[in-house]
Amino acid sequence: MKIQILGTGCPKCRQIEANAREALAGTSLEASVEKVTDLDEIMNMGVMMTPALAVDGVVKSAGKVLSKDEIVNILQGGK
Amino acid sequence: MTECCCGSDVPVKLMYACSGAANTGYLADNATRRLAKLGIGKMTCLAAVGASLSGFVESAKAAGGNLVFDGCSVACGKKIFENLGIPYNHFVMTDYGVEKGKTEITPELIAKTSFALAEKIADE
Repeated sequence: MKIQILGTGCPKCRQIEANAREALAGTSLEASVEKVTDLDEIMNMGVMMTPALAVDGVVKSAGKVLSKDEIVNILQGGK
Repeated sequence: MTECCCGSDVPVKLMYACSGAANTGYLADNATRRLAKLGIGKMTCLAAVGASLSGFVESAKAAGGNLVFDGCSVACGKKIFENLGIPYNHFVMTDYGVEKGKTEITPELIAKTSFALAEKIADE
């Protein structure tokens, strides 16, 4: 599984990355966390508002700092 | 352009134009581009939302408003948002004195329609 954090490196982007790492640590899932900071790449994924989070190339959320619990729910297939 | 929400809680309005083959689609597209230049909102791709591309759909869900500009009463844009259950405001070019397949779309008409749309958006 590949988790992507889309954002240019602002505090909110860093917060969602930390939440994603914490969420991942609380599961038995094997996944990598990758930061996508290039605006062209972010726009090519259709994201108009950061921070955004994608799992295996599918954007699950945009424009919101997801909590650890929300990310756990996503990773477990809740959304 | 992608909007970083860091440091700003001002909601971003996204705008979508039908861009269909008829003169009305041409007007919708051009008027929306003009509204984007005026800073009314950020223009993004209606077709991508229609294709359910995840980044576009999630951006629409997170937007502070989705302004959908259809050319005619077929209302493809409206139907896309209804199918996805995402809130939107709807504008149809034929409500602005334009006849599908007949009215010539001139720069003056684009300017006039954009102005009327901007007023309508401000009222909503």
